[in-house]
Amino acid sequence: MSLSQKLSDDLNQRILPLTLPKNNNKKRCEALKRIKAMGLPSRRDEYWKYTNPRLFNDLFSNKNHVLGSDDKLNFDSIGCFKLIFNDGVFDQSSSDSLEGEELELTQISDFSGDTAKWLEAFYGSLEEAGQHPINRPLAKLNTAFATDGLAIRVTGEITKPINIVYNETSNRSDVNLHHCIKLEAGSSLTLIESGSVSTRLNKVTELEVAQDSSFHHVCAQTNNLDKIVSTHLFARLWENSVLKSFTLTTNGALTRNEHVVELKGNNGVSHLAAACIGEGRFHHDDTVFVTHEGTDCESRQVFKKVLKKGAFGIFQGKILVKPGAQKTDGYQISQSLLLDDDSQFLAKPELEIYADDVVCSHGSTSGAIDEEGLFYLRARGVPEDTAKDLLILAFLAEALAEIEDTNISELLLTYLERSL
Amino acid sequence: MTSLEANDSVKDGVDQETVEAVRNVGGHYKYGWETEIEMDYAPKGLDSDIVRLISAKNNEPEWMTNWRLDAFSRWEKMEEPNWAMVDYPKIDYQDIYYYASPKSMAEKPKSLDDVDPKLLETYKKLGIPLKEQLILAGVEGAEEANLDERKVAVDAVFDSVSIGTTFKDELRKAGVIFCSISEAITDYPELVKKYLGSVVPVTDNYFATLNSAVFSDGSFVYIPEGVRCPMELSTYFRINAENTGQFERTLIIAEKGSYVSYLEGCTAPKRDTNQLHAAIVELVILEDAEVKYSTVQNWYPGDENGLGGIYNFVTKRADCRGDRSKVMWTQVETGSAVTWKYPSCILRGNESQGEFYSIAIANNFQQADTGTKMIHLGKNTKSRIVSKGISAGNAQNTYRGLVTMHPKATSSRNYTQCDSLLIGNKCGAHTVPYIEVKNNSSRVEHEATTSKVDDDQLFYCRQRGVNEEDAVALVVNGFCKEVLQALPMEFAMEAQQLVAISLEGSVG
Amino acid sequence: MLKITNLKVELEEESKEILKGINLEIESGSVHAIMGPNGSGKSTLSYVLSGKKGYKVTNGEVELAGEPILELEPEERAASGLFLAFQYPVEIPGVGNMTFLRTAMNSQRKFRGEAELSAADFLKLVREKAKELKIDAEMLKRPVNVGFSGGEKKRNEILQMALLEPKMCVLDETDSGLDVDAMKLVADGVNALRDKGRSFLVITHYQRLLDHIKPDFVHIMADGRIIKSGGPELALQVENNGYSDLLAEVQ
Repeated sequence: MSLSQKLSDDLNQRILPLTLPKNNNKKRCEALKRIKAMGLPSRRDEYWKYTNPRLFNDLFSNKNHVLGSDDKLNFDSIGCFKLIFNDGVFDQSSSDSLEGEELELTQISDFSGDTAKWLEAFYGSLEEAGQHPINRPLAKLNTAFATDGLAIRVTGEITKPINIVYNETSNRSDVNLHHCIKLEAGSSLTLIESGSVSTRLNKVTELEVAQDSSFHHVCAQTNNLDKIVSTHLFARLWENSVLKSFTLTTNGALTRNEHVVELKGNNGVSHLAAACIGEGRFHHDDTVFVTHEGTDCESRQVFKKVLKKGAFGIFQGKILVKPGAQKTDGYQISQSLLLDDDSQFLAKPELEIYADDVVCSHGSTSGAIDEEGLFYLRARGVPEDTAKDLLILAFLAEALAEIEDTNISELLLTYLERSL
Repeated sequence: MTSLEANDSVKDGVDQETVEAVRNVGGHYKYGWETEIEMDYAPKGLDSDIVRLISAKNNEPEWMTNWRLDAFSRWEKMEEPNWAMVDYPKIDYQDIYYYASPKSMAEKPKSLDDVDPKLLETYKKLGIPLKEQLILAGVEGAEEANLDERKVAVDAVFDSVSIGTTFKDELRKAGVIFCSISEAITDYPELVKKYLGSVVPVTDNYFATLNSAVFSDGSFVYIPEGVRCPMELSTYFRINAENTGQFERTLIIAEKGSYVSYLEGCTAPKRDTNQLHAAIVELVILEDAEVKYSTVQNWYPGDENGLGGIYNFVTKRADCRGDRSKVMWTQVETGSAVTWKYPSCILRGNESQGEFYSIAIANNFQQADTGTKMIHLGKNTKSRIVSKGISAGNAQNTYRGLVTMHPKATSSRNYTQCDSLLIGNKCGAHTVPYIEVKNNSSRVEHEATTSKVDDDQLFYCRQRGVNEEDAVALVVNGFCKEVLQALPMEFAMEAQQLVAISLEGSVG
Repeated sequence: MLKITNLKVELEEESKEILKGINLEIESGSVHAIMGPNGSGKSTLSYVLSGKKGYKVTNGEVELAGEPILELEPEERAASGLFLAFQYPVEIPGVGNMTFLRTAMNSQRKFRGEAELSAADFLKLVREKAKELKIDAEMLKRPVNVGFSGGEKKRNEILQMALLEPKMCVLDETDSGLDVDAMKLVADGVNALRDKGRSFLVITHYQRLLDHIKPDFVHIMADGRIIKSGGPELALQVENNGYSDLLAEVQ
């Protein structure tokens, strides 16, 4: 059997149990055609070199999984509009009303050409743009088969953060979730996502931030020790717009978070940050691709990983500065703290630059806890374990500092302190 | 106030000489002439008969012929790699001469006196030997050297064959073997058998396999246990004949506790067509031994419209087999139309050390994809990478590197500093590092920056009366300082000049 | 020596007028001071005189020893005898101070059709001048301005001035960041270079530098114009009453 035959068979097997939803069927059929042409990810792909996509590609194993940790992270103290999902299905009746806010909310599962005209063209368009120059088959698969998700069109300043709360009751769910978020000119929104959607999740978020708008995003991936998660954020930023996105991951078996950002307008700002702590059967992959097209844009990526007992941390990050994207300020740092010899950190930070008037830099480090710092703390009477925790938190703090709302970063820090 | 030492004037003079040399050259590739010598060619193209012919021309024993044929049959099944960020028309491997030798070399000369004077003239034009010239010009560090004892032994490779090695006898007294690889195959078959292909396996990569099949000559160095090589060793490679591929092969073996510093220089005449150069360098470094390998690569880069130039596809690797062994690669890559080269260090011995210092300059339509691999296998191993990339004109310059800390390479260190400079808005500078850390007691640090030549620095120089082009050369030389300092003095001046020459026409 | 006629200058990127018609004539051998509050355009004037990019001259003329210079490249102005002592001397990593000095010096000599200095002559000259300015050999070996203290940077500027022997020296806020001792050292260096063939334009915010470098004329600059000119007493007036009185007087 030839390799291409095998890839095609794998894909057919993967999509066999899935049905193509009726809504926006044209876009979905296109996506299906595209995924058939590109096939599922394989280890031969340059950007799957360090993460085996098998668990994403295989038929979903229907065995029981371990659900949640006891200490659930919640954002109630922040004061949010809560939108509830149960096992990947939007539960409108349990969710807060957003009446009076300058936004339009539609459920992906039941939109039609009449309900949200903008969505027809929007759905799948940013994801498709993100397929160049590198294929992202899982995102394409999602666009074809996503069963639910929210489409949010924001037209003004939203008064409180929106918190999407994922509840997981089944311990054997496999969900494709697709959100579409469009911020019209001059609007702003803070979105928090928390909880675990399902045991296996394929989530795609398409985001467009129009000029003079800002989008703040915090995603907490907690609560399920066994989860297998692939997420993609496809963001497009126009003039003077701001995107700040932070992701926290504290458990799960396999997580791959891809951020694909296009800075299309001038003076755009994109800050991506993530912190993760994992141990044992924990494989965490951040894959980031930031494209600078406009001039005078700033991009920052701060990625921190704390790994122990055989955990794997992957970082692949690329800043692409296209010709003409002058006055670009690009900064990227990826760091890992390996708490023991069994853990591994594999990184590929890249710069690809075609404009000269730029200041771009990246740094990457990996190592154990700083012995001198540890000794200093112990010499001041701090017990070794506490001292280690302090140093771990200090290490992650640089990523948490990227969160604009300090109430949120403090809440996350407190949660991390508890979970250490 | 401490008084200035007399040598300061000499030291300082270097840069001035550089500026003058740049002016004299007047913006043209300095080594672009061709020597008219009657050549002996093998027929164009490649098949097993050509491989046999190359082997026969070198009077090789059967085992060597078979080794080559094996490589050739493997190469036929391989595909040319395409992952590097370089773009060139498909190479027709049947349209290349794989063997070219000056006719006067058909009978190998016994000593340099027997060599065709035209060849010697060629090498004189290339500035060999450089030593007196350098010392007079006052290259940095020149004052530390004992002028009487400072010697450089040279092996010169002209197209496919080595034309002669200097100071052979003196080296032999010290027990050092320095000869062409073809001589080594005949004279020291056991050493060659043991080490050839042991660092770069025959099937390592497409170009390495090709080289293994058709390499015609190159240099061989053996430094016996405990010997500090009494002089710098040097090879000059020159491609002269048209449509000729050059496939030289260098093998250096440093026995326990030995030391050698090796220099390599490359030039080629101007041609409208592209020429292929696919070399292999293997370094075997045993316990407590140290090898310094420096390259100034100045193959013809093509003209300002991107016509012609050398395709430089080179595999260089050092195997630090013994504990506490050390290798230092230093390269100044200013030539070639396309460069594909990653001098690597396998740090197998405990406490072994690898260093890589690189300047890569790409101007006009040059494309360079170069960097290093640091494979940490032993405990307490150390590596350091300093890469300075300069892009100008329409050129693309990529740093590609791998640092890997294997699970058993505990308590090891790597530091990587990778800086790129852009001159003009049509060029590109890219950084593609792979970092793999598989134990926690090792520390890896990677830093990379990309920016343009600082306007304030240029203005400051110009306010003091330095013209723009000289100001750029001055600032860029400053940017490269750390690498230039790593070069032996034989190459330091040449490298500084090259930096300036390579950037000509890039401003304004 | 230097004649500035109705000079108007805008920033190149945003058409904002910084200099709004400067007139100034500096005779050979005289020392002029320009004082003014922050943002008055003092530093812009020094950059425009020396030909820095980023400024657009919309009107006026500048002549150095009778020759118009606004069309000249920065290095051509330098070779014609214009020297700017920078407020913030630029650091150039990797380039040795000696290399830099010698390259600059010989570039200028060559430009003027003079013979280049030999290494030995150059070294002798540098040693001599450095000694006068209490600059030690270690500092000359280091890269240009890299790791220099504020005082060392400014002394290095004066050393360059002494070596290049310009006709027209512009000192941009040379006293900024200096303590009293360092300032005195720098001022002594400048005073030693005072000569009937050499003119100075001293740009400063404070009067204190003028205690050490005595000007023949003082000009007050505000909002891109010279609003008042006078003798050294004008500087003392600023010292005692600040700029506000003078500004009010003009308005």
